[in-house]
Amino acid sequence: MRIKSSLAIVGLCLVGLLGPFGSVWAAGETGAALCVTCHDEEDLPDMSKSAHGFSVDKRVPDCITCHGASPTHAKKPTGVSERPRPDRLFIRKFALPANERSAVCMTCHSKDPKRALWAGSQHDGADVACNTCHKIHTNRDKVLSKATQTDVCYTCHKQQRAQMNRPSHHPVPEGKMTCSDCHNPHGSAGPKLAKRDSINATCYTCHAEKRGPFVHQHEPVTEDCANCHNAHGSTVPAMLTARPPMLCQQCHTPHVAGGVGAVGGQNGVPGAGSFATGKNVVNLWQGRSCLNCHTQVHGSNNPSTLNPTPQLMLR
Amino acid sequence: MNTSAPSFRFHRTVLAVALCAAFMPAQAESNPVETSVSVGLGLVGGSSDDHALFNQYNGLRKDRNAVGVLGLDYSLRKEDSSSWVQLQGSDLLGDTRELHLVWKNPGSWKFSADYGELVRRDPNTINTGLLDAGSTAPQVRPLTGGPGSGADLDLSTKRTSLGLGFTKFITPALQFELDLKSENKDGSRLFGIGMNCPSVIAPTCGANLGWATLMLPEPINANHSQIEARLSYAAEQFRFNLGYYGSFYRNSNDTLNPSVPAASLSNPLNTGLQGIMNNPLALAPDSQAHQLDLSGSYDFTGTTRATFKLARATATQNADFASAGLSGAPAGVTNLGAQVNTQLAKIGLTSRPIPKLSLLADWRYENKDDQTPIALYNSEGTASYTNHALPSKKTHGKLQASWQFSSDYRGTLGADYEAINHGVFTESSAVSGISALRQKTEETSVRAELRRRLADDLSGAISVSSSRRDGSNWLKDNSGTGVTEVTNPADSAVGFLPTAIFMPSLADRKRDKVKLFADWQPAEALTLQFSAETGKDKFKVPSAYGLQDTRMNQFSVDWGYALSDNWGLNGYLARSLQNLNQARPAGAVMAFDNTNTGASFGVTGKASSKLNVGGSLSYVNDKSVYAQTLDAFAGADSAALLATSGGLPDVVFRQTALKLFGKYDLDKGASVRLDVLHQRSSLDDWAWGYNGVPFTFSDGSTVMQKPAQNVSFIGVTYIYQLQ
Repeated sequence: MRIKSSLAIVGLCLVGLLGPFGSVWAAGETGAALCVTCHDEEDLPDMSKSAHGFSVDKRVPDCITCHGASPTHAKKPTGVSERPRPDRLFIRKFALPANERSAVCMTCHSKDPKRALWAGSQHDGADVACNTCHKIHTNRDKVLSKATQTDVCYTCHKQQRAQMNRPSHHPVPEGKMTCSDCHNPHGSAGPKLAKRDSINATCYTCHAEKRGPFVHQHEPVTEDCANCHNAHGSTVPAMLTARPPMLCQQCHTPHVAGGVGAVGGQNGVPGAGSFATGKNVVNLWQGRSCLNCHTQVHGSNNPSTLNPTPQLMLR
Repeated sequence: MNTSAPSFRFHRTVLAVALCAAFMPAQAESNPVETSVSVGLGLVGGSSDDHALFNQYNGLRKDRNAVGVLGLDYSLRKEDSSSWVQLQGSDLLGDTRELHLVWKNPGSWKFSADYGELVRRDPNTINTGLLDAGSTAPQVRPLTGGPGSGADLDLSTKRTSLGLGFTKFITPALQFELDLKSENKDGSRLFGIGMNCPSVIAPTCGANLGWATLMLPEPINANHSQIEARLSYAAEQFRFNLGYYGSFYRNSNDTLNPSVPAASLSNPLNTGLQGIMNNPLALAPDSQAHQLDLSGSYDFTGTTRATFKLARATATQNADFASAGLSGAPAGVTNLGAQVNTQLAKIGLTSRPIPKLSLLADWRYENKDDQTPIALYNSEGTASYTNHALPSKKTHGKLQASWQFSSDYRGTLGADYEAINHGVFTESSAVSGISALRQKTEETSVRAELRRRLADDLSGAISVSSSRRDGSNWLKDNSGTGVTEVTNPADSAVGFLPTAIFMPSLADRKRDKVKLFADWQPAEALTLQFSAETGKDKFKVPSAYGLQDTRMNQFSVDWGYALSDNWGLNGYLARSLQNLNQARPAGAVMAFDNTNTGASFGVTGKASSKLNVGGSLSYVNDKSVYAQTLDAFAGADSAALLATSGGLPDVVFRQTALKLFGKYDLDKGASVRLDVLHQRSSLDDWAWGYNGVPFTFSDGSTVMQKPAQNVSFIGVTYIYQLQ
């Protein structure tokens, strides 16, 4: 009975507040309360504990706010064998086009500044509607919970699911972070729906120590963290897009003797201690690779003009 | 130098009292209250080395095999007084506590408070003789007993954050939001230094041969505070919001000052090299950033809407060099005085002039103006040169049109344009370590998509996209200061060496992608989802070196099957391939292939009216293959090494995880939950060692990770619903 009485209260409270919808129903039945005479708890999941179920909030919608006045559905016309459907349906088979479904929600939710850039955003342009991700008739919308949000996002973003399963990842599989910590799925001014205006500005919200600006900058770092990191996960430590030195040598001329990659313990590779020069094949490929020496890849604020100067990110 | 920077500190007890004060008065009226408390115990099997990957983020200490479980979920909805309080807590007995409080009068105001802890444990086991590891003044103590004879060192970082938020709906159209967040980060992470002599940039080495690499953890003790305030107004057709964002980073650790002896390292250090290894290492300086922005939307008609954003941000960094312990700055320069101003303008237009046609246009412009002063920070031998500015101007435009052929059939055509101008290279600066630069790049993309419902139970989409990038003439390093534009990079007289490398982010690029997606419900109980994607990048550069081309493929099928009203199965199978071809001069052409296979099988069910059960079995296999072939310039040493070593070994990561749970309702208000996990991981990665030979730092320190890690977890939780 809880859902039924809840919905009835919501409907009754709002019927006089809904302008055109209210006037439709004022002449006859009691608006959304009529809906719940048929659509009771056996027909609809409990949503009484959701934000839409907080009936005294004047902004809360009732059935007809979203589904339309639907007079022929509410009162089946005579001579019609099958009851006509409501004006607006959101379920798969009879769903409105995505933009029309979203428009229903945006009637109220466009006031939220986080959705200011929804129109024309990647999701809007790809026919993703609000109810593609959000479930309305529930007390616990999966996409609003940190523990379950990724299940919803992975419905489309399969590659990111695979990357998150790799050993170097943000704590998303552990439930300590979620997609919306970095992305605003409702539209943003940044690329890839980044929460802030750029990839770097988004990363700096947690990794501000990389912002600098430094005396000695590393241009790809200041340009885009994603030049070197895959934030969704990697087999290479530090979520790097490729293993150093391969990653570094995509831009830099190598300076190690011998051009072939090999590691200590393989045939033909002497122990590290026997190398006369530090620029040997083991130091280049193992440990932290190029970063064994060029440790300040994110930039150095060391101003020393005394040799060796730190311009090569050595200190 | 370690100073205690002023930062926002807080105590858990204060937080707890504040939270209680917030909701206890409301609880006294208790109507209707819903509270559930979870109390339990978890036990972890396996040795501490077996927990390395498992413990990376779960907050469980390496030396512990038991963890307490305490969670809280409280909700008080008082609709008569328009009050709603929610409090959620998780992992309250561990090192990754999270508390989330929301207290609101829906439609009038909302207050929120968040407390969070996040621990990241380095999955490696470090053995070292280092003293004061993790401090700003570590002392290197070579392991005279050889690698492995030191003490194990665990590295971890912990973030502790407090966030406060307040929203006030001043009128139905006017809203004010304020969010504050302060986060402390403490601990240490894997880091180090290295140097090779002789070097043209290090005359103090003299002509002496010598080198050292040292593992020195980076000490972390910093605070990052952020504030965001936003005023929003929503009229019938026009909505806008004006916001300020401020970010303040304060680092208590300015420098890392190692103490490195000359003797007993794997290679004895000459005096010059020892001095270099004892130089201070600059840590991240204090910095701050501010942004003002205005964004919103305007509805011209019911079907035509514009969106916009204007923003101006300033990032500054003026940490004093001397007080940080960093000497040797150019004469008269006390701090960098860095200032980078970023201006952003974005405008979008969406329209549906007729019901079947949707149009979208978007234009974005970002100007990053680097006003950081230029000074002679660099010297190489007797030559001096300055730092360089990194400005950029980025323009991005998008046009898209979609046509609804029928209710089941929609087609989209789109085009994108992006231009990046990196600005004029600072003439008084020098290029280091790279062959070529480029001032401008331009990229044009076209794409098409068809989205169709083929039947009531089958819908799908196919999209193709193709882009081309080129740019201005390449700029060649002057072997001193500045760069020279090269009109014909292939001309050896004025152009580049045949071994030059042209960076992929600036190179001409041809990119093509195809994506397929399908949803199919062949039976009432069965749903299937197919996804496939392929793409390739081809870089057109004047040499055969660096990154030449890349390719990716991805395929996955997800499925769900309802056995009955009470039982369901689900799972997925996914496979992806990434391939890079790149070459390095006088060495080898490397074909790198990464293949990742993932699968999962899950079941959930209601065994009885009181018993819910579920479980999943997941598998990941990630294999990286490095295939090398000698290039025309390869020397005899490379040929010999490749012949004897057989090339780089594969890197393979495999993980199988079995997770089971059962929840039994003891009565209406109480239940007990059992969670069981068994995870088997194997990581065959030569980064820190291969075939029993560890990568060994010059002081004998080693870093390793147990190659096979098996961990079991069992947890029992009692969940009580307070009536």
